[in-house]
Amino acid sequence: MYIELLKLASPETVVVVTALVVLALGLANERTAGLCSGVAAAGLLFAVAAVLMLPQQATLFHGMLVITPLTSLFKIICLVLAFFTVILARADLSSRNRGEYLALVLLATIGLMLLVGSEELLMIFIGLELTGLSLYVMAGFDKTDVRSAEAGLKYFLFGSTASAFTLFGISFIYGMTGTTALAAIGQKLTTAPVQPLLFVGIVMTLIGFAFKIAAAPFHLWAPDTYQGAPVPSAAFIASGSKVASFVVLGKIVLVGFGPAQGSAAWHAMVAGWAPVLAALAALSILIGNLVALAQTNVRRLLAYSAVAHAGYTLLGLVAGGREGFSATLFYTTVYAFTLVGAFGVVALVRRETGGDDLKNFSGLSSRSPLLAGCMSIFMLSLAGLPPLAGFFGKFYLFSAALRAVDNNGLLWLVAIALFGSLISLYYYLMVLKVIFVDEKSSSTTQPLNPSTSADFLQEISLTVLAAVVLFLGVMPGTLVARIIAAVQ
Amino acid sequence: MDYFLITTSLLKILGILFVIILPMVSYTIYAERRVSAFIQDRVGPNRVGPAGLFQPVADIAKLLFKEDFSPRNANTFYYWLAPCLALIPAIVTFAVVPFGSTLFGVPMVIADINVGILFVFAIASLGVYGIVLGGWASNSKYPFLGGVRSSSQMISYELSLGLAVIPIFLVVGQLRLTDVVRYQIDHGWMIAPFLGDWTNPAKWLLAIPMLVSFVVFSVAIFAETNRLPFDLPEAEQELAGGYNTEYSSMKFGLFFLGEYAAMITGSAIVVTLFFGAWHLPIPSWHGGFHWALIDGSGDGWRGILGGLFNIATFFAKVAVLLFVFIWVRWTLPRFRYDQLMRLGWVFFFEIALVNIFITAIILAYYPA
Amino acid sequence: MSPFLFWIFAGLMLVFGAGVVLNRNPVASALSLVVSFLGLAALFMSLDAYFIGIIQVLVYAGAVMVLFLFIIMLLDLRAEKLRKINWLASAGGIAVAVALSVQILYVIGNFRFSQQPFPPLARSTVDDVHHVGSLLFENYNLPFQIIGVLVLVATIGVVVLSKRELR
Repeated sequence: MYIELLKLASPETVVVVTALVVLALGLANERTAGLCSGVAAAGLLFAVAAVLMLPQQATLFHGMLVITPLTSLFKIICLVLAFFTVILARADLSSRNRGEYLALVLLATIGLMLLVGSEELLMIFIGLELTGLSLYVMAGFDKTDVRSAEAGLKYFLFGSTASAFTLFGISFIYGMTGTTALAAIGQKLTTAPVQPLLFVGIVMTLIGFAFKIAAAPFHLWAPDTYQGAPVPSAAFIASGSKVASFVVLGKIVLVGFGPAQGSAAWHAMVAGWAPVLAALAALSILIGNLVALAQTNVRRLLAYSAVAHAGYTLLGLVAGGREGFSATLFYTTVYAFTLVGAFGVVALVRRETGGDDLKNFSGLSSRSPLLAGCMSIFMLSLAGLPPLAGFFGKFYLFSAALRAVDNNGLLWLVAIALFGSLISLYYYLMVLKVIFVDEKSSSTTQPLNPSTSADFLQEISLTVLAAVVLFLGVMPGTLVARIIAAVQ
Repeated sequence: MDYFLITTSLLKILGILFVIILPMVSYTIYAERRVSAFIQDRVGPNRVGPAGLFQPVADIAKLLFKEDFSPRNANTFYYWLAPCLALIPAIVTFAVVPFGSTLFGVPMVIADINVGILFVFAIASLGVYGIVLGGWASNSKYPFLGGVRSSSQMISYELSLGLAVIPIFLVVGQLRLTDVVRYQIDHGWMIAPFLGDWTNPAKWLLAIPMLVSFVVFSVAIFAETNRLPFDLPEAEQELAGGYNTEYSSMKFGLFFLGEYAAMITGSAIVVTLFFGAWHLPIPSWHGGFHWALIDGSGDGWRGILGGLFNIATFFAKVAVLLFVFIWVRWTLPRFRYDQLMRLGWVFFFEIALVNIFITAIILAYYPA
Repeated sequence: MSPFLFWIFAGLMLVFGAGVVLNRNPVASALSLVVSFLGLAALFMSLDAYFIGIIQVLVYAGAVMVLFLFIIMLLDLRAEKLRKINWLASAGGIAVAVALSVQILYVIGNFRFSQQPFPPLARSTVDDVHHVGSLLFENYNLPFQIIGVLVLVATIGVVVLSKRELR
């Protein structure tokens, strides 16, 4: 059994070992920072290879470790996101404590992989905590910046409260069904009538995930954390953590609580988790988009837009079923890559001008056409304009939501989402206007740091990300087909 | 409700507390003074009663009648609470120690719970509160330093303490202390497996990690009870007496009692874990040489005498260890604080850890 | 265990749990938490879970809280100053908390199982320490190891965040 465990958990094992090596290297010498990044990146790629060598189907310990094409796909996505975070960290962080930082990124990645690869509430909770704890530290990592401390503390306080609710909810569910395995819970719910007490448990469990994906009204940490945390941390919080949370949230509600779905249709509301998620989605879309209008800081703007995007993504889960789940998965993946790219641009602009307010972006097109081009691709994709990936993602989501319930029952939600997208167009284009139209303001003439080889590497990775976003917009079928095949 | 159980338990509690522990504490203090005098070539207390034997009574009378002084800026509630917290855990720990076989068919252990040793650690770890609070509530510099030193010291050595006993429980397979005793009666004491299958070399191989455990455990007990060479929390020369500087009268007395009670409990645990508790093998030649077992299972007077003999054996062993405690105190110099911490974290902690692995490997190669 | 003891220990837990929040002196808060933990340990033991109960005392009351106390004393945290209470905010917080508790209590009150006495627990034939041990190393082996990683993360975090940077 232990050999089997070692075999099936080989990607996680690789990442743990890499984390320990990076930690030791970082302790050895201040100058090994570059080597640390290299080892971390190599370890992540090695872990991707390990994922590819896993068997097609396997399950261990009643679902604590599940391997399906879906989990393998998303483990790879998490690893790739971590890879880009490592590259971002190489440029953005000083070499002080680099080893510890990278080790934390790797350990958080393990948490994400476990979240993705588990169908058991206990394991999911531990995965949440592992991810959360690493990300709290990563958010507060920059000790020279008081904003970073604020980001870490807020993230931690909200996060721990949300986990407490989730744990409480899980204990209710365990008490009612006598099991923590999702499949067994689902089976139990189909045979026995759903008790009201179970709804309490389900709603409480969802709170923790609503926090993780920054859905309103559990989004209050997001603006300060996105703005204050070191850029790579913010990027990882916004991308990796979100992707894994959506995967596991989808598994929990569809596999575990499937029979308790209820309905969020306009005329025929039925109690269950779907109305709850629908309410979260509607609130997130409205609050996120409206508040984003007033932002002057790009990272804060991205944070509020993240709230709105969490709302869109929830639409797929509200719709439920194979199609809705795959739409959610596709959208969150695209969103994660776009956001990592956007944060990459922010990191470079910040390095150059010393800030990440909108005015720091003015005249970016003349200073660095490449960055400006990448940023416009990311922003337009977030806004959902064709032919970018964001457009197809939204289209897929909305059509899934419309088709899910008879008589266009979810039309109200889709209408809200369309309205939100319309608003969002304004602030995304605002960013582009500043980049392309505004004159370079005189205060930001002095580059803080001369460009280095790290910048070069980062520019390459940004180009790759922009290409991915463009590619997935033109040929979404490549990823969608995989996801649909993987979702049973 | 099982009235028989409750009555016998109450009797055991009262007996152990008032007949054994408290007198033993008093006479340990007396022994400390006599032995230290002997080591330093002095006479020691010899005026009250024959050879000064009533000295403890006089000491207690003195403590009770002294002025009970408390500093003005002390935090009154915690100032009062601290001495009680220092004494109670040390005594409560005795609840799970099997101090004899049986007497009138009643097992001589107050609470034979299945997590005995963990109970010991759990309760003993509460003892630090008394010291920390005493130092803090006095609102005075030296006691405060003493309290802080003590808490960090106790926490550091609790780790080695806990890790050192794991090999024993790997061997025995139970956490219940009576099971540990039973194992030692069948297989010989932990540090000297001369009984049962004593010709088996694996048994003697296992005795090596047990010996290491014993050393680590006893050193940690020295640190836990704040005894020299680890008495940093109350180093007279540095801290003017340590956490109890501001205490007087019986409150000081309680701290003093607590310290010696912790010593007795610690010795009792060492005896239970490593020296066969109440078991004393008697060589016998009835039908070939073997070790005879005396316990309280016989009929009539034989059983009662056997039971009493076991209890006496147990406390005699404890007394020997207490003598070692005193002996060490008056012959070894004190460690420096950083040395103490280094010793705990860098040396004993690792030894205890490695010891667990060695024991596990031996057990894996020679399954029982 | 008799319901009498249950109510005593449960009450003890709740009263001292409230004490943690209400006390203005951090030392008093920490000690209240210790008593609350002891009450919880007693409740565990009443369910024949001696191991969990004792671990609760050993780890939380005996080690974690001592460190808390240690830090409170080292930082010399004084009693919190009485500050002006934001009545609106507190009222809102209390209202939300009360609403949540009422909802949960209402649901539990209407719950079918809550109206019938709990069936007596089957007396476990296995020693609870053995039981916990075998579960931990067989069924829950993976979470157990992941907890190790979690502790590593916590260690790194504490060291990184609390280390003084040399400039």
